[in-house]
Amino acid sequence: MTCDVKVKDRVGTINPIFTCQPAGAQFASIGIKDCIGIVHGGQGCVMFVRLLISQHLKESFEIASSSVHEDGAVFGACGRVEEGIDVLLARYPNIRVIPIITTCSTEVIGDDVDGVVTKLEEGLLKEKYADRDIQLLAIHTPSFVGSMVTGYDVAVRDFVKKFAKKGEPNDKINLITGWVNPGDVKELKHLLAEMDIDATVLFEIESFDSPMMPDGSAVSHGNTTIEDLADTANAKATIALNRYEGGKAAQYLEKTFDIPTIIGPTPIGIRNTDSFLHNLKALTGKPIPPSLVRERGVALDALTDLTHMFLADKKVAIYGNPDLVIGLAEFCLDLEMKPVLLLLGDDNASYVDDPRIKALRDNVDYGMEIITNADFWDLENRIKNEGLKLDLILGHSKGRFISIDYDIPMVRVGFPTYDRAGLYRHPVVGYGGAIWLVEQMANALFTDMEHKKNKEWLLNVW
Amino acid sequence: MPYHEFECSKVIPERKQHAVIKGAGEDLTSCLPKGYLNTIPGTISERGCAYCGAKHVIGTPMKDVIHISHGPVGCTYDTWQTKRYISDNNNFQLKYTFATDVKEKHIVFGAEKVLKQNIIEAFKAFPEIKRMTIYQTCATALIGDDIEAVAQEVMDEMPEVDIFVCNSPGFAGPSQSGGHHKINIAWLNQKVGTLEPKITSDYVINYVGEYNIQGDQEVMLDYFHRMGIQVLSTFTGNSSYDDLRGMHRAHLNVLECARSAEYICDELRARYGIPRLDIDGFGFEALGNSLKKVGLFFGIEDRAQAIIDEETAKWKPQLDWYKERLRDKKVCLWPGGSKLWHWAHAIQAEMGVKVVSVYTKFGHQGDMEKGISRCGEGALAIDDPNELENQEAMRMLKPDVIFTGKRPGEVAKKMRVPYLNAHAYHNGPYKGFEGWVRFARDIYNAIYSPIYQLSGLDISKDEIAADKGFVTRRMLSDAGLSDEIKSSPILTEYTGKYDSVTDLRAKTYPEFERKTAASAAE
Amino acid sequence: MDDATKLEQLMDYIMKNCLWQFNSRAKDRRKQNVGVLTKTTQLLCDEPVDNPTPLDKCYWVDAVCLAEAYRERYPWLATMDKTAIKTLMQKLHERLDWLTIDGSLNEELTVQHY
Repeated sequence: MTCDVKVKDRVGTINPIFTCQPAGAQFASIGIKDCIGIVHGGQGCVMFVRLLISQHLKESFEIASSSVHEDGAVFGACGRVEEGIDVLLARYPNIRVIPIITTCSTEVIGDDVDGVVTKLEEGLLKEKYADRDIQLLAIHTPSFVGSMVTGYDVAVRDFVKKFAKKGEPNDKINLITGWVNPGDVKELKHLLAEMDIDATVLFEIESFDSPMMPDGSAVSHGNTTIEDLADTANAKATIALNRYEGGKAAQYLEKTFDIPTIIGPTPIGIRNTDSFLHNLKALTGKPIPPSLVRERGVALDALTDLTHMFLADKKVAIYGNPDLVIGLAEFCLDLEMKPVLLLLGDDNASYVDDPRIKALRDNVDYGMEIITNADFWDLENRIKNEGLKLDLILGHSKGRFISIDYDIPMVRVGFPTYDRAGLYRHPVVGYGGAIWLVEQMANALFTDMEHKKNKEWLLNVW
Repeated sequence: MPYHEFECSKVIPERKQHAVIKGAGEDLTSCLPKGYLNTIPGTISERGCAYCGAKHVIGTPMKDVIHISHGPVGCTYDTWQTKRYISDNNNFQLKYTFATDVKEKHIVFGAEKVLKQNIIEAFKAFPEIKRMTIYQTCATALIGDDIEAVAQEVMDEMPEVDIFVCNSPGFAGPSQSGGHHKINIAWLNQKVGTLEPKITSDYVINYVGEYNIQGDQEVMLDYFHRMGIQVLSTFTGNSSYDDLRGMHRAHLNVLECARSAEYICDELRARYGIPRLDIDGFGFEALGNSLKKVGLFFGIEDRAQAIIDEETAKWKPQLDWYKERLRDKKVCLWPGGSKLWHWAHAIQAEMGVKVVSVYTKFGHQGDMEKGISRCGEGALAIDDPNELENQEAMRMLKPDVIFTGKRPGEVAKKMRVPYLNAHAYHNGPYKGFEGWVRFARDIYNAIYSPIYQLSGLDISKDEIAADKGFVTRRMLSDAGLSDEIKSSPILTEYTGKYDSVTDLRAKTYPEFERKTAASAAE
Repeated sequence: MDDATKLEQLMDYIMKNCLWQFNSRAKDRRKQNVGVLTKTTQLLCDEPVDNPTPLDKCYWVDAVCLAEAYRERYPWLATMDKTAIKTLMQKLHERLDWLTIDGSLNEELTVQHY
């Protein structure tokens, strides 16, 4: 029995696990303060992505469209971007940065958005908005390349590349979180605070867990500033938690500004959080404080209540963004569970060379399949037609009907999780995330035992 | 012209022609905004694209079909699981979506081969499904793939399957409405008349422009079946692909959402002489009139009247319970298209609320004509609204509730205005007599939520009523009501079930005798 | 009650409750207005209505409902003689054509195709 890595054996997609690049760039863009992206393409590329993110966060936020219509598709649509940027700037006086996010249509017609940036910098911005400091950048995210994961990766890099500027050393670290939730950012900042480390967080999206205020004035938006981005060049180190979501930005900073850099591991579970703290300590020289020893102990105490009694040998399928899936699989293994199927979104050929995947291949002692460029049919077909038996599914809401139709308990994790309340508020990273995840999994299994009357009496005494 | 200029839009003067306030003495010749024009880029409009109008609004509610989008994966993913068009076959069309997953190499070398492989793979994965719709997207339109040729090739090789092709890329028009148009005409040209339906009644209709949101179609079908009417097809909610190929044999097209589906009705009228009857499935009076009209057309108005009498007797006292409590509440009716006119008058007349604003994201001037006609003086009508204008309008109008989409609903939430989902509904269906009460119930629950009262309290400044452990909706809604109404033995709150639709699927209907032996033998 | 007020009431009912006057093209609106209002007038004047085609039948259906609603809501109709009703309905027809076709601001009315 071994761990096999395979590419999906069909050309098409039946129920996609991931969406396309512009969605990733849009998610990155809302993490930046005073930033409204303009997506250069058809209106659906924005309208539905806003809806998707809004379903997940239960919040609204601004992203604009260049609204390419038929004439633009035929004759070129750069003029639409120019007009769109002018309209945005005229109506939103606080905007400081506008990323132009391309899509499949505008990449196919070959609109020169880099040229638009230059043109506007020399024209419109000087003529009409000379009193404002407006920054434009082009982010190329054709939908037919990569996925939302690479779109996010590219966008973070492009933002960093645009703004990072050598100055005085700032004694901070750069923490590039990858595609996470407000709850994750909160947990990560908590760990940094305990370590007494000052960090620039890309991106400060904790603010998306936002209030309703008596005067009705609250808004939801990310809080990473241009100054934060500029200062990334002056950090004493960079940690990118996710290899595939933010890794490119970390590499850019390392290469350009010679900043010591560690990419990964995704701090999901005890072991990976230990590694994260170890890396923080190595990069900053700051000790791991007793408070975190205790916090880790609280998590281990919670895990111990559940692992060998309830979780051992439970077969799990996990799908979603690659770093998340790998991190969850590693955690499950520590919990004595058996991840039997990992579905990694998109056609990235380098997943197979990921050291974490290699470690799985070298050490897993039961049958595990890892599918790349996977879709939901890779999961459902195995259950429906090939006899795959699962105890649990870990993944985002788009897979909900597999859980429902085949009566397999599921813990929602990743993006998007619109069919469960408030998940964006909770972390999956850090010791806090470990507790949250293990208890979610256990409670899902408990509910399932009761729902199926499968040894439900077991829980009478526990 | 009583144009309304938003402060926030003064810098884009052309927006001025897209909003009007209906003043005293204004009529349609003096008060109508522009509509269905190209969107001004950068306004943060709420419009979608022509692909979603075709695929997501009209195509995918068809229930027994593999719906495949030819393009990169995003169009498919992003439109998947964002609507509530259910069906009575275990929601196949909600659960499964297909993308050809076009990549860079296909953009360079063409994607027809990968399309064909996709089609075959999809039929193989679902051997019980023999029907398919293929939707072009921006990318495959621009590279010029001949989707029809590939579909024909497959149909030649697999005679048991039938494939419909819709060429409606995202950029084809100012909004999703461009896609509604394209798929209407494409379906008519490609598929109508290619299958002869079995006629089982003297009274045969198509129910057009109805997408079975939360079961709306099934509610209406129940009425039609109680009248002994054969509904040949529904365009397209909960409908079978093959049923829609037989649309040409109906005696009457009953049209609900004229915005998205009038084109096919107009063409069926022109080509086959089938009359178009516009109806409203919302509101007791409008719905009653609609059923009566369909009945009159076939000379069976007594059957319609029986339904109206029975349903009205059952549900009217419940509707009125809410009406007493919703009087003069200010509503922003901010849907996508047709609901602005389906609801504008009916909610005022039958629920007592006041519509202070209507808008349409993707409607045409024709929709605004209907909407403006149906709302009262002082209403602000906005075409192709945008984020800042909506916020300005809410600050100006101070509505008690808004009916709009999910994401704009989040904007309203922050401004402490409760919202109901106008597209997908909160706890629908909203069509039918019972549905209309459900709608009133949802409005009541939104407006009188004790949480909205709490959210207005600034505990740092305001007096806190520390003696209260709770407040109920009734404590809020009944405070100003007369004792007579409060303790009315007739008026009651909604009594229906959480799921008012599933039971309909098991219902049986009386056999009505057919007029002649010849027609019975058809 | 003067004719203008009567006309306004009749028009108000159509605008608030009917949809047949709002087909998307001018040519269809003209047919709809003629079809429905001619038959409504006949019904209000107790004259026979001929429906030789399904399309006529469809106009008639809307006409029956309109005539019933008018009779129910506007008792003053019962006090009018047939000639007066016809004159009033003719004015209504002209006014409706003006509002929905000839004076309409709807720029799509003359689009060639559906």
